[in-house]
Amino acid sequence: MYKLLLSWRYLKTRFIALASIVSVTLGVATLIVVNSVMAGFVDQMQSRIHGILSDVEISAPLLSDIKQPTAFIEEVREVVGDDLKELTSVVRSNALISFNFNDRQWTQHVMLLGIDDETFGKVTDFEPYLTNDIKKEKFSFDLEETGYAMFDNAGWKYRREKFWHQQELEKLQREYRNLYDEEAKRVMLDQANSSGYTADGRLIQEDSPAPSIENPTKAKFAALPKTAPDIDKLYQNKTDRDKTNADRFAAVKNDGTVELAPFDPHVGRRKKLTTEEMFNPARDQYTGIILGLGISERKMREHDGTLTEIYMVNPGDDVQMTFLSGGNAKPVIENFTLVDFYSSNMHEYDSSFAFVPLSELQNLRGMVNPLTGEGAVSAIQIKLNEGSNLDEVRDRLLSRFPPDQFALNIRTWQDSQRPLLSAIQMELTILNILLFMIIAVAGFGILATFFMIVVEKTRDIGILKALGAPSRGVMSIFLGYGMSLGLVGTGVGVVIGLLFVAYINRIADFVGWLTGQEVFDPEFYYFDKIPTIVNPTMVVWVGLGAILIAVLASVLPALRAARLHPVEALRYE
Amino acid sequence: MNKLAEPTTATSLRPKTLNAHTPDSQIRNPKPVMTVSGLFKSYHKKNLEVPVLKGVDLTIPTGDFTTIVGTSGSGKSTLLHLMGTLDAPDSGQIYYNDRRIDNLPAREKERLRNREFGMIFQFYHLLPELTTLENVLVPKMVQDGFWTYLRNKKAYKKQATDLLEMVGLGHRMRHKPSELSGGEMQRTAIARSLISDPRVLLADEPTGNLDAENGREVLDCLAALRKNENLTVIMVTHDDSLAEKSDHTIRLDNGVVA
Repeated sequence: MYKLLLSWRYLKTRFIALASIVSVTLGVATLIVVNSVMAGFVDQMQSRIHGILSDVEISAPLLSDIKQPTAFIEEVREVVGDDLKELTSVVRSNALISFNFNDRQWTQHVMLLGIDDETFGKVTDFEPYLTNDIKKEKFSFDLEETGYAMFDNAGWKYRREKFWHQQELEKLQREYRNLYDEEAKRVMLDQANSSGYTADGRLIQEDSPAPSIENPTKAKFAALPKTAPDIDKLYQNKTDRDKTNADRFAAVKNDGTVELAPFDPHVGRRKKLTTEEMFNPARDQYTGIILGLGISERKMREHDGTLTEIYMVNPGDDVQMTFLSGGNAKPVIENFTLVDFYSSNMHEYDSSFAFVPLSELQNLRGMVNPLTGEGAVSAIQIKLNEGSNLDEVRDRLLSRFPPDQFALNIRTWQDSQRPLLSAIQMELTILNILLFMIIAVAGFGILATFFMIVVEKTRDIGILKALGAPSRGVMSIFLGYGMSLGLVGTGVGVVIGLLFVAYINRIADFVGWLTGQEVFDPEFYYFDKIPTIVNPTMVVWVGLGAILIAVLASVLPALRAARLHPVEALRYE
Repeated sequence: MNKLAEPTTATSLRPKTLNAHTPDSQIRNPKPVMTVSGLFKSYHKKNLEVPVLKGVDLTIPTGDFTTIVGTSGSGKSTLLHLMGTLDAPDSGQIYYNDRRIDNLPAREKERLRNREFGMIFQFYHLLPELTTLENVLVPKMVQDGFWTYLRNKKAYKKQATDLLEMVGLGHRMRHKPSELSGGEMQRTAIARSLISDPRVLLADEPTGNLDAENGREVLDCLAALRKNENLTVIMVTHDDSLAEKSDHTIRLDNGVVA
C-alpha cells in the first residue's frame, strides 16, 4: 500500500519527472503518427498498384505480341490450374494523343491499352477508378447521358451543345458572309450609279430613281441572334434525342431521304444519306476511349492560393490517336470519343493510360490474322483466387514458359513495383529505429531524474526501512514511479498521436494556413488527402516499448534505493 | 563473527555492569526483554577502521524506562541501531525475549522492526509527502498487503486517530510534517512508533532537537507510555538530566558500559 501511496505522492509533487517524460510522450506520438501515415501510404499505394496491375502478368516485349493467344491462354489456364480466377487479354501500344484546346492542337504521348470490356474489370480494379457513376456500375465504351458529376461539361448534352454551338457559329458566319456579299454588291451598285453606269456597264437613264441613302443591311445585322437559344428546352425529352437531332440538323423528306444541312461535314460529297448512315456528332460517337485523368487535367493555382482543375478535354469531346500498326509499323490515325476518365490517383498511371476496346485496337493495328480471325495480344493478365501464392504461380508459369525459349515477361505485381515498395519499407524501418532512439534518449532523462529523486529521498528510504519495509518494497516504489511515469507519458502520447492521426488533414491545412506553405500539396502527391491506417498492434507495441524503456530507466535508481543501508540513509543530511 | 560461545540461557549472560539501582523493577519483571553481550562494532572509512563499540554487555528489564547516557561519539546511537536490528554487529549477540536477533534473516528483522520495536529519532524522520495521519499509518501499510490493508483500513484509522489524540494532535491529522512544530512532529513520530503495538520503544535522542519545554513534553509522553502501555522504553541521550525520569540509567563511555 505504501508503495502505491508514495509512488502517487512522488508523482504528484515532482513535476521535474513529468518534464522528463515529455520526450517519451512526443516520441510515442510521433511514432504513432509516422507509422499510421506510412502504413496508410503504403497500403493505398499497394492496393492501387495491385488493383491496376493484376496479380500476375505475362507480357510480350513492347511492339511485339503473342501471336496465337487462344492456344496460349489454354496452356496458361492449364498451368495455373485451380488458382485461376479470371484472365484477360490486353493489347498495349505507345500512342500519341492530340486534341484541340483553346484553338490549339495539343499532342502528347500515352500508353494505349486495348482492353476486353467483359473481363478486364474482373482482373483489375478498373471500374471503381472511373469517374462516371453509371460506368462504375456497368462498364461500356459508350458516352453516357448523365453521371459525370465531377465535370461541368461532360456527356451527351455537352456534346450536343458544343456541336450545336459550332453549327450556330458557322451558320452565323455564313449569314454574315452573305450580308457582306450583299453589302459589297450594293456598294458596287452605288458606285456604278454615281458614275452614271450600272454595274454591268450600261448607261443609267436620267429618270432612274436616286440611290437610297439608307443602308438595308444594317437592319439585317441587327436582326441576327446575339445569344444562343436555350438548348435545354430543345432536349427535354432525352429518349427523343435522335429524332430531335434529325429534325435539327437534317431536313427529312417524306421519302426518307435527307436534305443535308449545309454545315454537315460530308457536305462536299453532295451525296444523299439516310439518317442512320450519316455521322452526326450530336447523335453519334466515335469508338469510345477512356483517358487517364492526368492527360486532360491541369492544376492551376489562383492568386488566392486555391487550386483549380482545368480539363483540356471533357467526356464528349473527340480526340485523335496516332499509333503504329502491328507488324509493318505504319502509323494509324483514328478518331475516338472521350467517354470517361480513369482516376486511380496514381500519377504514373493517370498521366499515361488510355483505354480503348481490345477488338477495335486489334483491327486498327492489323493484329487480326485474316485466316483465323484471331487477334494477337500484348499481354495476358491473370487474377488468382484469394489466398493463392503469387510467387509460386509465377514460378510455375516460368518453368512452363522458360525465358530462354519464350520472349515473355512473367511478373507478379510486386515484382513490377519492388523497387518502390522496398524503398518505402526501408524508410519505415529506419524511421522506427530513429524514433525509438528518441524514446531511449528520454529513458536516459528518466534515469538521471530518478537518480536525483533517489538521492533526495534517501532519508525517506531509511525511514521506511527502519519501519520494517523490505528492500523489495522500497525498490517497487521507484519501479512503480517509473512505470506510472511511463504509463502517463505513453498514455498521453498515444492519445495525442491518435488525435493527430484523426485530424491530420485538418492539422495539415492549419499549418499550411499558418505558414502560407501547403504541407501536403496535392499537386505533387499521389493522394489529395493524407492517408492513414492506425494499426492497433503497432500502437500496443509502441506503448509497451515506451513503458519498458521508462521502467528500465528506473531499475538502476530503484536498485540503488533498495541497497541503501538504513543507518546511513537515516544519517543522510 | 561469533567469536563468543553461544550462551546456554540469556540469564546466564546477565552483565555484571547492569546498573540496577531500582530493585523494584527487578522484582516486578525479573526477566529481561533485551540482552546484549560482547557487542563489537566498528565503522570503516576508506582504509581507516573506527571502532565504536568495544564489547558492550547490558540487560534491559521488561516494562521499564531505561536510559542509555553517553557523550557524543560514545557509540550510544550505534548501540541503539544494533538493538533495533538496523545494523549488524561485528561480533557479539543481541537477545530479544531469549531469541537471538542479530543474525536473523532480513525478512525476520523487518518483521521485528515493524511489529515488535517502535523507533523514534532525533530528527523525527517523518515522510514529508504524507499527512500526519498517513505517517502514523505507514507501519501498518508496510505490515499488510494491499488488500489486507484496505480491508482493515477503518480499524487502523481509528487506532491512529486515537494515538494522535493521545499525544495531543487530534486537530493536526490532515497536516503535512512541514506544517508542524518540532514537538508536534516528535509526538507524531511517537504515535507512529506505537501503531503496531510494539513491545519495545527505541528512542534516539528524542528531545535532542527540541527546546526545553517541548523536550519535557515528549519526555513526559514517553514516561507515561511506559506506565500506560506496559511497554519497555529505551532512550539514548547525552543529557544526564533527562535520565532522571527513567527507571534505569546505563552509562556508555568510549564504546564500553561504564
